Amino acid sequence: MATASARVETAAAAPVTLAKPEGQWTIVLRRFRRHRLAIVSLAFIFVVFIASLLTPLVAPFPRDAVNPVMRFSLPFSADTRDNKKLHLLGTDHIGRDTFTRLLYAARITLSVAFIVATLSTLIGMAVGALAGYYRGAIDGLLMRLLEFMSAIPTFPILLILASVLNQDPKLLPFPDFLVNLVSGIMLIDPQKESRSVLVVIFVITLFGWTGAARLMRGMVLSVRERDFIESARSLGASNLWIIARHVVPNAFPPLIVAYTLALADGLTAEVALSFLGLGITDPTPTWGNMLNFATQFMLTHPWAPLIPGIPVVLCSLAFNFIGDGLRDALDPRLKM
Amino acid sequence: MVRDVACATREVEHRLTTYLIRRAVVIVVMAFIIAFASFILLSIAPGGPLQEIAARQSTTQRNDLDLIERTMKRYDLDIFLIPRFLRWLTGHPRGPIAIGGQQFFADLQVGCLKEGRARLVYPDGRVVEVDCAKPVFLRDLADRPVSNGVLRLDFGKSTQILREQPVIRLFESRIVNTLLLMGISTFLSIMIAIPIGIISAVKQYSRFDYTVTTLAFIGSGMPTLFMGIMGILIFAVLFKEAGLPYLPAGTAESPRDTVIPLFGTIKAGSFLDRLWHLVLPVMILTIFNLAQWSRFIRSSMLEVLRQDYVRTARAKGLIERVVIVKHAMRNALIPFVTLLAGVLPALFGGAIITESVFNYPGMGRLFIAALTAGDYNVAIGFILISTFLVLIGYLISDVLYTIVDPRIRLS
Repeated sequence: MATASARVETAAAAPVTLAKPEGQWTIVLRRFRRHRLAIVSLAFIFVVFIASLLTPLVAPFPRDAVNPVMRFSLPFSADTRDNKKLHLLGTDHIGRDTFTRLLYAARITLSVAFIVATLSTLIGMAVGALAGYYRGAIDGLLMRLLEFMSAIPTFPILLILASVLNQDPKLLPFPDFLVNLVSGIMLIDPQKESRSVLVVIFVITLFGWTGAARLMRGMVLSVRERDFIESARSLGASNLWIIARHVVPNAFPPLIVAYTLALADGLTAEVALSFLGLGITDPTPTWGNMLNFATQFMLTHPWAPLIPGIPVVLCSLAFNFIGDGLRDALDPRLKM
Repeated sequence: MVRDVACATREVEHRLTTYLIRRAVVIVVMAFIIAFASFILLSIAPGGPLQEIAARQSTTQRNDLDLIERTMKRYDLDIFLIPRFLRWLTGHPRGPIAIGGQQFFADLQVGCLKEGRARLVYPDGRVVEVDCAKPVFLRDLADRPVSNGVLRLDFGKSTQILREQPVIRLFESRIVNTLLLMGISTFLSIMIAIPIGIISAVKQYSRFDYTVTTLAFIGSGMPTLFMGIMGILIFAVLFKEAGLPYLPAGTAESPRDTVIPLFGTIKAGSFLDRLWHLVLPVMILTIFNLAQWSRFIRSSMLEVLRQDYVRTARAKGLIERVVIVKHAMRNALIPFVTLLAGVLPALFGGAIITESVFNYPGMGRLFIAALTAGDYNVAIGFILISTFLVLIGYLISDVLYTIVDPRIRLS
């Protein structure tokens, strides 16, 4: 927590010199720091991120180590027969250490959320920029596509795709480098576990890019008629240059807000998919499938769902708060 | 003057008609695309009849070509994609086209039972080389059983959940539960969200407004999954342990009579029993909708309150009540009407996650059960009906929009 705020402060202090007027980002940072919930949220996400980064060092037990004697043990209990290592958050229905699995799951769930949000924002940006800048046929096609996507029941279709793709690996083979990349990031077995993770990323991204595309298109449409675009073009700037140097930076503020909210959506989507048993499945731990198992034994072990449930809620709320803080900080019309 | 008005009305009606026709065409096209995509998905979905045979063969070591051919015929797998799709969608073609006792296109090849080259010798002496060892002709389809077609709500038979039962029967057994759940929660949400949103906007920055916006923000940021779990934890588990009147943790009916502390006995399967089971899921769904809708109504009302005509209404000395209710609220609710378009498919489809958390036997739960079991006829039926309702919902909301807001011009 201290690290996060310190980082923000140094970044804010650096560009402020005596004579120069404040830069845009300095103002944004200053305004963001006033949103206390957003700062707390950012610090929280940072802590979770660090914890999931250090998972293999911090985790007290092997990820899938089963201990049949210690099923559903309470937090802070230990197996008295062996080395008396504490199960900080108890164990699950087959006696695996919940704290260890929660850490590994954080790594997987958060990575999926980040990858999904980043991919869908980038794809949406590219498509939206192309459509908005070139207009005409590309734009018409994109608008029809967006209309189509908004007029279908997305969530059920996402579920059925995930189900079909998960059950038949031949339908959508993923290239080896993706499989290895994902298994490297998430510390999972490339042969057995990577596929369902990739399927989840694929289906959520497939339906997730439309929001960013719509936003980007709107921004581009409003920016492209401005005078400075005209002058850039008259100076001989290429289309790609104009998009990259003039259009994207102008569309940046709303996009970054949309990105944080996409993180929250990606997180909940993965959790929902895995909770329903159609996403990433056991033994690969994610917060979603841990919740799934915990709720199955809820009437006898009511505290169990809280352990994976609380991080899900906190992270989802944290992303929302950060988005809210960024929105306030980036909107110059709001006086703070 | 009177003629002018009549003329204008007729023009508006005319425009509405052309608009509706155009939307109807778009809806048909989109429904067709979705149907085709669904069909493709259905035919590539794992766990088809041939895979079942393959799985059985690997265990019994039998290689029964006859069985494979029979199965392919039984499930239309020997027919080309397009005619197969048409048969699935409409139930046709069912054989050669008969007009006035004459049969047409009987020799049209519509499929291929076995790949490979073959020489076909016709009775009239023609010899034709074809790329198919055992072609299927239109006349072969005459004696085959065929579904009535998806268009007539025949989604085929369930393969896993209730074997050999038509999918539509499964839907019929679940739809009442979902309609009850979604209907009650939607009604409650609208009834509570409107006053909350309006008051919150009228008294902007008051303590009430602050509480409402904070709760709404948290409510819409919190996954329903977790809200459901917390609901079960508090009202089903903790209340029961504390000896308070508790709520059931799931399902729609109790298997036996239940005694509730401080309340009495609830007969299994009675009206009260069903109501008792609905409380918790309805509550969760209502909270979730409430969080979203009250925010929406609040911001819409805030926008309206800033309009000139509201200032005019105040300036001409109307009492605040009239200004709010008659001038502002009516206009603020217009955008809300379009939001309600999403309600229609939800009434049918239910809330997938909430129904799953509460193990509530509704459509959403059925859908998940179908996907988990690999019963794709059921799943596709669900998707098709949902899509159709989404499209109809949009159409209704468009029409409603023009009715409640005459400023909107249809284009």
